[in-house]
Amino acid sequence: MAIRIIVDLLLVIGAVFALAGTIGVLKMPDTYSRMQASTCIATLGMLGVALGALLYAIFVMHSAGTAVKVALVAGLILATNPVGSHAIAKGAYKSGIRPEKKMEVDDLGRDLYD
Amino acid sequence: MQKTKFPAVVVTFILCFAFWLLLTWSFAVQELIAGAVVSLAVALFTARFFIHEKAFWLCNPVKLFSGLFFWVCVFPVELVKANVDMARRCFSGCRNINPGIVKVPVDLKSDYGQAALANAITLTPGTITMEVAEEEGQTYYYIHWIDVTKPSGKEAGDAIKGTLEKGLRRVWE
Repeated sequence: MAIRIIVDLLLVIGAVFALAGTIGVLKMPDTYSRMQASTCIATLGMLGVALGALLYAIFVMHSAGTAVKVALVAGLILATNPVGSHAIAKGAYKSGIRPEKKMEVDDLGRDLYD
Repeated sequence: MQKTKFPAVVVTFILCFAFWLLLTWSFAVQELIAGAVVSLAVALFTARFFIHEKAFWLCNPVKLFSGLFFWVCVFPVELVKANVDMARRCFSGCRNINPGIVKVPVDLKSDYGQAALANAITLTPGTITMEVAEEEGQTYYYIHWIDVTKPSGKEAGDAIKGTLEKGLRRVWE
């Protein structure tokens, strides 16, 4: 019973952070800020849900295979998400996407592109 | 392109085989042999992409445990702090942001260290590494920062990645 409560709490925490990230994606003013907000979903949003699922697999389902797969999914998301983020951010900047409101500090534009 | 080295193959093989055991979760002889053959083939072809430096650096217990300490204790704390900060900004209407791209010096020398630091920075909400540049032997990251409070250079670097870099330096140097 206690385990179920902990699992539910973790799921709720994950859902709250995913909600925060989604609001950020919808309301942030420019591409890069939206990407920043979406990182919330891929880190704590995902980790909360994955930890909950891991505990559920171990203590309720008693299935080691499921637990390993859940841990693997979490690890793979954590390993691949930043690589995708670098590539998208750099590609967006290279293809000429700039925020509407000019950034206060923009060393990348000053040094490499403009 | 560097050549395939024997220690690199061994380490890649061990990793592949461990994953095979984890995923199949069965210890029948046939499964073990099939797994060993597949892992060996994969290791022969991919070891040179996978391992560039010393293959057995994880055998040094100091580095192993400082690595574990970093990924289990240091990094999650930073992650939660940054996530709470970001969530607060999102829930309060995304008004109090001040985005900008700062240039930050990085002192890690090893390839893996730099890659791990760049990924750790990107994983913390509020900062994304966008570009790596090298000038006169010093490595610089260009980091998109959601709330620029410090000028570029060392100060911004300490604010963004001070703790992370300290933890990673113990692992890779």
